[in-house]
Amino acid sequence: MSLSSGGASRTAKRSANYLLLTVVSLLFVGPILWMVSGSLKSINEILLYPPTVIPSVFRWDNYAKIFQLQPFLRQFGNSIVVMAAVCVLTVLLSVPAGYALAKVRPIASSLLFIILLSGIFLPPEATIVPLFLFASKLGWMNTLWPLIVFTAVLTTTPIATFIMRQAFLTLPAEFGEAATIDGATRLRTMLQIFLPLVRPSLASVVVISCWYSWNQFLEPLVYIRDVNLLTVPVALTHFTDPYGGPLWNVQMAGTTLSVLPVLIVFLFAQKHVIAGLTAGGLKA
Amino acid sequence: MHSMNTTTGEVATASQGMRSPRRRGGRGRSPRDAGRNLFGYTLLAPGILGFVAVGGTALVWVFWLSLHSINALSQKQTFVGLDNYARILHDPDMRTIFPNTALFVLVLSVLGTVVAVALAVMLNQKIPGINIFRSAIFIPALVTMVAWALVWHFIVQPKGALDAAFDIFGLGPYPWLRGGPLTLVIFAVIQMTKNVGVNVIIILAALQAVPNELIEAARIDGAGAWSRFRHVVVPQISPTILMVFMLMVTGSFKVFEIVLLLTDGGPGIESSVLSFAIYQQAFELNDIGYASALAVILFVAVLALTGIIWQLRKRFVYHESE
Repeated sequence: MSLSSGGASRTAKRSANYLLLTVVSLLFVGPILWMVSGSLKSINEILLYPPTVIPSVFRWDNYAKIFQLQPFLRQFGNSIVVMAAVCVLTVLLSVPAGYALAKVRPIASSLLFIILLSGIFLPPEATIVPLFLFASKLGWMNTLWPLIVFTAVLTTTPIATFIMRQAFLTLPAEFGEAATIDGATRLRTMLQIFLPLVRPSLASVVVISCWYSWNQFLEPLVYIRDVNLLTVPVALTHFTDPYGGPLWNVQMAGTTLSVLPVLIVFLFAQKHVIAGLTAGGLKA
Repeated sequence: MHSMNTTTGEVATASQGMRSPRRRGGRGRSPRDAGRNLFGYTLLAPGILGFVAVGGTALVWVFWLSLHSINALSQKQTFVGLDNYARILHDPDMRTIFPNTALFVLVLSVLGTVVAVALAVMLNQKIPGINIFRSAIFIPALVTMVAWALVWHFIVQPKGALDAAFDIFGLGPYPWLRGGPLTLVIFAVIQMTKNVGVNVIIILAALQAVPNELIEAARIDGAGAWSRFRHVVVPQISPTILMVFMLMVTGSFKVFEIVLLLTDGGPGIESSVLSFAIYQQAFELNDIGYASALAVILFVAVLALTGIIWQLRKRFVYHESE
C-alpha cells in the first residue's frame, strides 16, 4: 500500500509526500500550538493584527491569573473525582455484565444485550431534560452525583459492557470447564480464570470511561451552578472580562493547562489509549 | 510511537470474537441451568437495572413531558396532547434548525468517513517518522471538545489567526461567525478535525490487517493502485468503515459545544442545530414541554437513521464468512 510505485524522481516524490503529511498535520496540531502561543501573550499583544506567532515577551503570569479568577485547582480536582468515580462504577457494572453475556448466557441474554446496546446510540441531549428534573427530585442539583451516576449508568457502561463481552467471547469456554472440574465455583472461575485474561480490554474500558467523563460539558452545564463544583470544561468557558468578552490570553492559558496532563498521560500510556479506542470501535 | 501496530492484533482478535460460535444450544431446566441463570442474572442485574431505571425512566418521562405545556416558574403542567409537535411543524426557526442538523449529519458522516479513510491510507506508509504524523492527527482527539472549540473560537475571531492567514494571500476578511453557510462550514471543520483522529486510528488498524497476499495477487493480475484499493482493500475494511460511519452518524447529532461557545446559535438561530435547540428551549427559555418534543424527535431520528443504515449494511459491507 505504499506510494512508491513510480521510479524516476523518487526524491521529489518523497519530499512531496512529506510536505503533504506536514501540511495535513499542521491542520491538527496548529491550533494547539496557537493556543500555547496565545497563552503566553500579553492582552495587548494578543489583540495585535497581524498577530505575532511567537510572543515578544513570555507572560507566564497568565498562568497565575487562572487561579486568581477561578478555583481552578478545585475544579480540576472535581474533574478527576468524576473521572475516577465513573471509571470505577463502569468497571464494576460492565465486567460482570459482559462476562454474563459472553460466558454465562442466562435465558434472554441476547435481548438484554440489545437493550444495553441501545445506550450507545442514545444522545445525551435526548435525555437531558428528564434527567435534569430527576436530579432536582433527588436533590442532586449542584452536586457531582449526576455527572457520575447518570453518565456511568447510561453512557459508559453500555459501551464498556460491549467491549467486555467481546473480550470474554474470544476466550475458549474450556478454560472455565477445566476450572469447574477442579471444583472452582462460578464466581472463582470468573475472577481467577477469565478476568486476568482480559486485562487489555479492561484497560480499554478505563480509557474510554475516563475520556468520556473528562469531556462532559452539557451535563455539568445543566446540573451545576456553584463555581466550586464545576468541572474543567465548563470552567474554561468562564475566563471572561467583566463585560463577558473572552479574556483570550488567560483562557488559552487555562485551556493549555487543561490539555497538558492528558497529553502527558498519553505520551506514557499511548499503547493503552490507542488500543482502548480501537477496541471501542470493534467491527459491528 | 512504536506501538501503533499493536492495535492490529487487538482488533483482529476482537473481531474473531464476533464470529465465535454460540454456546451449544440446549435449554434444559436442570438444576445446573437454574444455577447458571441465577448467576448470570446476578451479574447482569446492576448494569441492566441501572440502565433501564435511568434510561427507561428518562425516555418515558421525556415523551410524557412532550405532551404537556409546562410553566417552569409556577411548576404548572397542562396536558396538551400533540400540540408541541404541531408547534415544531409551524415553527419558522425549525426551517433553519432541521436543515442545519441534517447538513451536519450528512457532511460529518459521509465526508467524515471519506476523510478518515483518506487520512488512514495516507498514514499507512512505512516511512521514517510516520508515527509523528499519526500522533499529530490523533492529538485533537485527546483535547476536550470545549478546549478545541475555544481554541478555534480564538482562531476564527475577527482579526484572528485565520483572517491573518488569508490576508497573506490578499483574501478576506471573511465573516466566519456571522451565520450562513460559511459559519456552518467552519463548524464542520472544527467538529471533524476534533474526532477524525480516532476513526483514522481504527481504520489504520483495519488497513494493516488486510493480508498483503491479496494486494500482491491483485497487482500480479495487473490491477492498478486505485483498482487494488477499490476492489481489494475497501471490501476487506468495509465492516470497519461501516462501524466508523455509524459512530459518526450518532456523533454528528452532537454538534453542541461549538454552537454554544462560538455563536450561541446566532445570529438569531441561523447557526443552531437540534441538540442546541433542545438546550436553549429547556434551560434558557424554560419551555420544558417544547424542548422535550424536540428531544423525542432527536431520539427517533438517531434511532431511525442507525436502524436504516444497519438494515442496508448487507449491500455495502463485504463479509467473507457469510
